[in-house]
Amino acid sequence: MLPSETDMSKPNDLILGTLDLLLLKMLALQPLHGWAISLRLTAISGDVLQVSEGSLYPALHKLEQEGWIKAEWKQTENNRRAKFYSLTRLGRKQLETETANWKRLSSAISHVVALAEA
Amino acid sequence: MRIEHWFYRFPLRLKSIFRRRRVEDELDEELRFHLEQKIEQGIAEGLSPEEARYQALRAMGGLDQKKEEIRDTRGIHWLTDFVDDVRYAFRSLRRAPGLTAVVVVTIALGIGMTTTPYSMLDALVFRPYPVPRPGEVVTLVSTTRDDGFDDFSYREYLDIREHTKSYDGLIANAPLGSVGFSAAAGETPRVRGGMLVSGNYFRVLGVEPTLGRGFREEEDQVPGRDAVTILGPDFWKRELGGDPSVVGRTIRLNGTDFTVIGVAPESFPGMLLFSRPDFYMPLAMARLFSSDPKKDFFVDRDDRQLSVKGRLKPGTSLAHAREEIALLARDFERAHPQLNRDRGATVRTRFQMRTRGDDPNWKFSVIFTVLAVAVLLVACTNAAGLLLSRARTRRREIAVRLAIGAGRFRLVRLLLTESLVLACLGGLLGIAVGYAGIKALQTFSIPSELPVIIPFRLDGRVLAAAIVMSVVSALFCGLAPALQATRGDLVAGLKSDDGDASASGRGRKRLWGRNALVVAQIAMSLMLLAVTFLMFRGFQHGLLEGTGFATDHRLLVRFDPRLIQYDAAGTQRFYEMLAERMRHTPGVESAALLQSPPFGLDDFDAVAFVPETFQLPRGREHFTAAADTVDEGFFDTMGIPILRGRGFRPSDTEDAPRVAVVNAQFAKHYWPDADAVGKRIRLDGPAGAPVEIVGVAANIKYRSTDETPADFLYLPMRQHPVPRMVLLLRSPVDPQELVCTVKDAVRSLDANMPMLETRTYADLYRYHTVEGPRVAVNLVGTMGAVGLLLAIAGLYGLVAYNVARRTREIGIRIAIGAQSSDVLRLVMGKSLVLVGVGAVIGFGLGLAVEQLMNSMLFNAGGVDFLVYLVVVPAMILVAMLAAYVPGRRACRIPPTLALRAE
Repeated sequence: MLPSETDMSKPNDLILGTLDLLLLKMLALQPLHGWAISLRLTAISGDVLQVSEGSLYPALHKLEQEGWIKAEWKQTENNRRAKFYSLTRLGRKQLETETANWKRLSSAISHVVALAEA
Repeated sequence: MRIEHWFYRFPLRLKSIFRRRRVEDELDEELRFHLEQKIEQGIAEGLSPEEARYQALRAMGGLDQKKEEIRDTRGIHWLTDFVDDVRYAFRSLRRAPGLTAVVVVTIALGIGMTTTPYSMLDALVFRPYPVPRPGEVVTLVSTTRDDGFDDFSYREYLDIREHTKSYDGLIANAPLGSVGFSAAAGETPRVRGGMLVSGNYFRVLGVEPTLGRGFREEEDQVPGRDAVTILGPDFWKRELGGDPSVVGRTIRLNGTDFTVIGVAPESFPGMLLFSRPDFYMPLAMARLFSSDPKKDFFVDRDDRQLSVKGRLKPGTSLAHAREEIALLARDFERAHPQLNRDRGATVRTRFQMRTRGDDPNWKFSVIFTVLAVAVLLVACTNAAGLLLSRARTRRREIAVRLAIGAGRFRLVRLLLTESLVLACLGGLLGIAVGYAGIKALQTFSIPSELPVIIPFRLDGRVLAAAIVMSVVSALFCGLAPALQATRGDLVAGLKSDDGDASASGRGRKRLWGRNALVVAQIAMSLMLLAVTFLMFRGFQHGLLEGTGFATDHRLLVRFDPRLIQYDAAGTQRFYEMLAERMRHTPGVESAALLQSPPFGLDDFDAVAFVPETFQLPRGREHFTAAADTVDEGFFDTMGIPILRGRGFRPSDTEDAPRVAVVNAQFAKHYWPDADAVGKRIRLDGPAGAPVEIVGVAANIKYRSTDETPADFLYLPMRQHPVPRMVLLLRSPVDPQELVCTVKDAVRSLDANMPMLETRTYADLYRYHTVEGPRVAVNLVGTMGAVGLLLAIAGLYGLVAYNVARRTREIGIRIAIGAQSSDVLRLVMGKSLVLVGVGAVIGFGLGLAVEQLMNSMLFNAGGVDFLVYLVVVPAMILVAMLAAYVPGRRACRIPPTLALRAE
């Protein structure tokens, strides 16, 4: 029980910090509630990026406390009340920074990988 | 970016603090929504509802952990935890009301005892000037060869103003002890306090009058031209009823009409601590208020009456300003070698001015504060001891908390919060105690013509200090018990209530800590008591020695005929007629006139002189001694014996050869082997007028009962006329009965003559030698008594507790054949060691502090062995009793029961 709990909080199959980037990116496209985000995460990344549903919510709340996303209670399409998250102006800036960071990092890493194979 | 960040964050934080319920509900709903969706999905995939629910919960990985994680993201858990801790602290303190009450009262006594003297210290040393940017204001002082302080003369002030560049304005002021005020002409003047100030005074200090305007520079240019005045706020309210149309009105000061041009604001009670000026007048009006007819304020460079202050320019260092003024002082010395010989100048900060070596008040306040902090320490150690024993009884609770996963830091925080709550309750109560103490100080009245302001008050600064002290006390008395309670052996803690029973090394260490507390308490309270005794003895010593003159059956009445425009000759005539008339009044045994009565508030004149046939040390122009101007009735009326020669006679007039009487100390000082009578001195310097010493009077005390004999010179009134004099009457009955007689006599001489100050000599003397010291002795005595009480309570508690804790051990000892006397010896011996060690340390500490106080304030000398002789046995008795009662009980318990006791 205990080890699996740590597994779920800190997904070791996801590069640290990229969950934030993924969430910001997703919410940049449209406001979503937690359940929808979790469905979409599975749909987009399939089995490659496994984000446990448990760690999704702490991550969302952290982004909210940072002021990057904001939450609103709205009706879903089948008339249930749900908490919808959307990006703030600050979040959009953060997304740009993180995207840039990510691009730098991934290009550097692919560069290194390419070198190794050559 | 940062600000925008907070723009989003702040409302969320606030919401999580103040709408905690709602935030929690929303979190629940959000997670429930997710779960329900997940379950529906599971059912749709063909699982049974139970199975789907189970899967969903599994996927979330423990709802409560997630919630806790999410709560942590809010970044306010430190606060919510704190609130929880406080709530918990209150609950657990309520469960032990006795202990709580004792600890709170203990801390309250400590804080209260400290707040009162701190209010004195703050007022006397730390309180800033009541002006904007008070830190820039520095004082320029003239220094004499023996490192004394002096003021500057008007001419010197003008030169300094012209030649210095370090200041944004230099101001000068001279406080005036008595200004004759009458609201209209013809009204008998009353004495009020005033202040002569330079024209730029209010502007440089940054004080804006509430009504009217400040002085203009040109109102301070021509001597005697601009009779304008600004009123002090208290005076304006008290005497003029806060009349808003007062600007433009005329009031009479010393017989001259002054136009009121403004009223100083409430926030500016003046730059002095103990008095508040009622009027401010331009320096140019100085002649009207001059007290010395021989000196000309505007001309004489040695008529040094002006206190000079300046605002340092921003960026100018104090060192630079000092250099500048020191150079200027050297120029003065070069230009006026006669007047400025060996005279320097320097710049002092407010702090340096307030902590002058010759001012005993602040020293007393420092000593009081230090002693009070000692009491606070005793109180805290007591509280710590109590909390420590409480922490022990809570061992099991704490062990359980640790076992189920509470962090040590978290537990220490919880326990510290408890002591913080205790200290805050104690602090609140203590502030009340301190407030009562300050109120008591404020009721202390000083006999003087003008009201003396007692500047001690419970203001924001003192309050802040009390709060800081409370918090520090909380840390001090809570930290050790908290650390100790959370340390250590879980298993032992869970198994037994009494972790010490194993007598492990840790247990011994813990006891060591408590023993140190008791030793410290005993030492501190011994030291406090020793100081109390020393102060008491110092004052008592003086009282017993007496003054050398009689203070009973004597009445003092002060006059100042200048207030109703008498000239010098008229003044002398008035005094002569007054004394003559009083001497022939029934009920008056004798009458005298004198300038400054011994033990009065006015200081004596200092007279420069050169004794003939006495070799002056190199580089020395003259000697100085305190002097008083008296008439022929003085020695008889005061009851001061003339040891050799004669006193003054009515024939010692202006035209007669000049004479003086010296005291025995003076005679012994300059003519140790010869008779002083017939010797001559020259006043004011080698070229001064020769004065023959015609008599030697017995030494008396002049300023305080514990002073060492000082040189003193008496000059005859007719040869040294002074305008302000005191009539001294001796009566065989209550001197108060003479007041009406004096009034009638004065009225028959001049119906307008004000009687400035009327009191019995006994009153004056009582203030100096009984009242003031009594306040001091009471204050320190209370501290000592409270300290001792606390120490005794602490000692008793500790010893009794230690013995009770050893019940099982005692049972075993008795079971294997020990006698009760052996056991008693065992438990009492240990307490005796504690008392002994405490007494030795306290003795050393007391000795050191007594030395310090002797060198600072008293010359009582010696050590109060009596204190130790009384207090140490008392403590031993208490320790024995504290060990005996529970020890006795432990011995009586049947061993079988004792062994099962825990």
